[in-house]
Amino acid sequence: MLSRVAASFYWLSRYIERSDGILRMLKINYASSQDSVAGFTWEPVIRIFSGPDGELMEKLGNDSRAVLKYMVTDKDNHNSILNIITLARENARSVQEHIPKDLWQCLNEYYHTVKEPKIAAGLKKDDPIGVLDVLIKQVMLYYGTAEITMERGQGRSFMNIGKYLERAIQSIDILDVKYGPLNNNPNLLTDITYWKHLLMSIGGYELYQKTYRGGLEAQNVLELIILNNDFPRSVIYSVNSIQRYFDRLKNNSNVNDYREISFHIGRLQSSIKYSSVKSISQEGLHQYLIRVKEDLYQIGNALNEYYFANS
Amino acid sequence: MYQSQHFEKYNLINGVWDEMYSENSIVRHHYKKVIEYLAQESPDDLGKKEELAKNLFMTQGITFTVYNSGEGIEKIFPFDIIPRVITSDEWCIIEKGIKQRLTALNLFLKDIYHNQFIVKDGIVPIDIIYSCPHFLREMYQLNVPYDIYVHIAGIDLIRDHDGTFYVLEDNLRTPSGVSYMLENREITKRLFPDLLPNCGVRSVTEYPSILYKNLLSLSPRQISNPTIVLLSPGIYNSAYFEHTTLARLMGVELVEGRDLVVNNHKVYMKTTTGLQQVDVIYRRVDDEFLDPLVFNPNSVLGVAGLMGAYRKGNVAIVNAVGNGVADDKATYIYVPDMIKYYLNEEPLLKNVPTHRLSNKDERDHVFKNINTMVVKKTNESGGYGMLMGHAATEEEIEKYKLEILKDPRNFIAQPTISLSAAPCYIGGALQPRRIDLRPYALCGPDGIEIVPGGLTRVALKEGSLVVNSSQGGGSKDTWVLA
Amino acid sequence: MPEFKIQHITKYSYDNFVRDSANNIILFPIVDIYQDVIKHDLVITGNPQVDTYVDYYGNEVGSFTNTEPHNQLIINSQLLVNTHARALPVDNMFASEQWNELFNLRYIVPYIDFLKQEYFEGLSELQPVVENERKTEDTPYHTALKFCQYVYKNFEYIKGVTTVETTLDEIWKIKAGVCQDFAHLLMVMLRLVGIPARYVSGYICPNRDGMRGEGATHAWAEAYIPGYGWLGIDPTNNCIANEMHVRLAVGRNFSDCSPVKGVYKGSANHKLEVSVSVGYEDNHLPEEKDIFTASTLPKTETTASRNSYARYMEIVQQQQQQQQ
Repeated sequence: MLSRVAASFYWLSRYIERSDGILRMLKINYASSQDSVAGFTWEPVIRIFSGPDGELMEKLGNDSRAVLKYMVTDKDNHNSILNIITLARENARSVQEHIPKDLWQCLNEYYHTVKEPKIAAGLKKDDPIGVLDVLIKQVMLYYGTAEITMERGQGRSFMNIGKYLERAIQSIDILDVKYGPLNNNPNLLTDITYWKHLLMSIGGYELYQKTYRGGLEAQNVLELIILNNDFPRSVIYSVNSIQRYFDRLKNNSNVNDYREISFHIGRLQSSIKYSSVKSISQEGLHQYLIRVKEDLYQIGNALNEYYFANS
Repeated sequence: MYQSQHFEKYNLINGVWDEMYSENSIVRHHYKKVIEYLAQESPDDLGKKEELAKNLFMTQGITFTVYNSGEGIEKIFPFDIIPRVITSDEWCIIEKGIKQRLTALNLFLKDIYHNQFIVKDGIVPIDIIYSCPHFLREMYQLNVPYDIYVHIAGIDLIRDHDGTFYVLEDNLRTPSGVSYMLENREITKRLFPDLLPNCGVRSVTEYPSILYKNLLSLSPRQISNPTIVLLSPGIYNSAYFEHTTLARLMGVELVEGRDLVVNNHKVYMKTTTGLQQVDVIYRRVDDEFLDPLVFNPNSVLGVAGLMGAYRKGNVAIVNAVGNGVADDKATYIYVPDMIKYYLNEEPLLKNVPTHRLSNKDERDHVFKNINTMVVKKTNESGGYGMLMGHAATEEEIEKYKLEILKDPRNFIAQPTISLSAAPCYIGGALQPRRIDLRPYALCGPDGIEIVPGGLTRVALKEGSLVVNSSQGGGSKDTWVLA
Repeated sequence: MPEFKIQHITKYSYDNFVRDSANNIILFPIVDIYQDVIKHDLVITGNPQVDTYVDYYGNEVGSFTNTEPHNQLIINSQLLVNTHARALPVDNMFASEQWNELFNLRYIVPYIDFLKQEYFEGLSELQPVVENERKTEDTPYHTALKFCQYVYKNFEYIKGVTTVETTLDEIWKIKAGVCQDFAHLLMVMLRLVGIPARYVSGYICPNRDGMRGEGATHAWAEAYIPGYGWLGIDPTNNCIANEMHVRLAVGRNFSDCSPVKGVYKGSANHKLEVSVSVGYEDNHLPEEKDIFTASTLPKTETTASRNSYARYMEIVQQQQQQQQ
């Protein structure tokens, strides 16, 4: 497979996964903005997807409608859904002859849906949750179609590596941003709404309820999001998946390159596997997350170097 | 006039050859079956067919993207559902004529980049060659496989008022549109079930396999499975759809310049399992962008060092580099002389009379009669930079004249040729519109092959003579009868 | 028959690793009865395979690639060259006869290429100068020498004042330049009166007084003189280019003769240093005091644009303009 084609598969997936994360995050946060008018702030969401930017926050003024517009349809925000999907589509276009027609059409439809004027209008004056649901459904359609139609070959492996790498990074960013304020505001530790929103925004609330009977506790939330093997958005689940799909790329002609990256992934995998909430606290959550994220970036860079020919 | 509701509005254009009707309004024999078929359909049926065609193009993604202010708008190349029919006698002339022309043009390119006999013998003026920006000194003494320079040619033909075919333009660099020849046929099969076999229409589907066979034969490495790639500028190119179609139909890899690298005068493509040597490149990137080391240093579409690999014979490039010197509109004038010079034959297809504006007498003549002339830039194609004398305003003409005087070498003029008309389904009825024809010729070691068909382009605007897609033109399926 | 030992070092340093570089070098002296190469050692970083071919103008061109990541490229060319003085034109044909002969060369290869005038805005100002300098009874040889002197006297030689990107218009305006600008100006003047003129790149081998153009590659022009052939004229030093000038390449202009050019991939800035030192065979090479002063002569293009957006827009624009 051409290196550029592999890179396009990988990036296509990263963008789709990112759009999924953003949409879910927006949906839950909008809902919570309706719950607790006083304490609610969009700042963490903006920080995750646009970095710390005081000027931007001021401009948006914690106005939900303004934030939604910025995050979904704003052409000047390079991480807006519109721009992300445009990039995803361009990657798909350049590998059009390598992906099933159904998948291309699915993505095309997603793109055209985002561009429809009624999306922007809806976010401005109708029920934003309804609008976000329309878009979330597009992502789910895409994932379903990919699952059903994609040939089980190299292309799909690169797609899935991209997807889970992006997912792991997102989960880490969310944790980092949400646990950051704890140092200054220990009251949050016992704020049930705070943890509930965090779990809901990455779809882990129901699993949490089933796993931990004793109500919401910061320690348990941490354990679920980093270390739970069955939670599809946990860091360990994502890294396991990266390992699984990378394993399928092994063949005779690139043994050395393969080994190098395989080593990276394996080392990260075991370092997470043999962590516990306690050991993480000892290292310091922020330091721990930064380290895992660095490793993930390194894997991305190594893929770029060995498989994507720096394209 | 044929008695059918579709033809009520069909008014023959004075002094123009009509493909369907003879002068006394009798349907020409080769259009009879088509007309009979159409007569059974209600205008409503035809409308539905038109709608169906549009949907098929859209859903199959047979589109090109027009970029306006950064926004990409996907469009379909307008398609007229009524096929254009060519008799086997007409095709015979076209086929022989193009083969003859292409044989001469290939010999000319080989000659001009080696001994230059034709220049030394004074047949083609040397200043035409040496002032042509597409005459590439980098190609001098460079040998190409089988001395074939033009592997793929799109020769534009038009018909004058008496039905005679003329060559309007030779496209010998990276002619496009062949995917529309193929797709138009696929769609016509759906629109008019059973009509094609009933009429005895010859098939065009062989095109990709002939091209593939020719590409394969050019491989410098004598191995069973050489690597052939189609080099595309990328997804923003308006012909990107065509590039993907051809790559898919031939089963070759579609690459961009950044996928390729030259190492020790061999070309490789970068794959997830390392470098893989490339043997043949069917490129759809212009010469100037092909190798930033030798040509335009700012090009991001090409491969640095490619010309070195080409010179060493380690890679074949299709079409050859430097062909622009042969399809330059100033060189065009001398193609009939080339045929006589190299082949000792009379040209079978005529040239449109053409004036060189660098020649003062000819320029004066053209300026005096500008209302009956079409003036073109010698190295532009696609209908850009043209002046249609009969339709231009006084002011436009004066402005254009000034431009000509700045660099007369870059302009030629031709008398306005009427272009034949064919029936098109427009506004719920059949109406005559002006058309041309671009057949695609493939030249390989075994000779020249032309699939019976081509791209018929049509000027959809009433009264217009410009068929280029960039100027509001569309296309039709082209039927060559057995 | 002087023998020269020439060392020409071209050094590119990149502030980051670059890959996929492809390079062309024109560093092989022309071999004819006036010049032969006794020894040529060419050492290039990474010892790449250098393939040579003869280009349209008869120059030997070397090409090589390097796909591996690298942050330096040094091309070290060491030459031992033997030159022979050539007798100057006798110039005993009638002027009119000579001009007539030149007129008849207009449409003959290769002269047609060396008569084509590149348009620049100063042309209308230069035209009267040319007409004023040239007298009807002057032979082409005489005329060429007068023009050479004109360029020498009217333009100031300032090292580093121009680059390979500088246009003739700018040089005309500032009335200053380096050797290649002097050569281009002289060529324009010669071509204006119908004397075929070509660009020469090479080395100048200084006498004791020193000469302009040392420490870097040099450039001058050649004029076609009827009954004689190509005559080298060095407007930078206002002299005939003879056995003290070593020729590397000829062409229509600088870019046909560019001694070193290359393209690479990667987002790195590069620094270029060039040094040329010349010694007589019986002496040691002079002290390399000039070594690695940045020169502007060789040219490298990178495919990396100012930023990724600029690069993206460039790609989009280029992709859209390909069609036939």
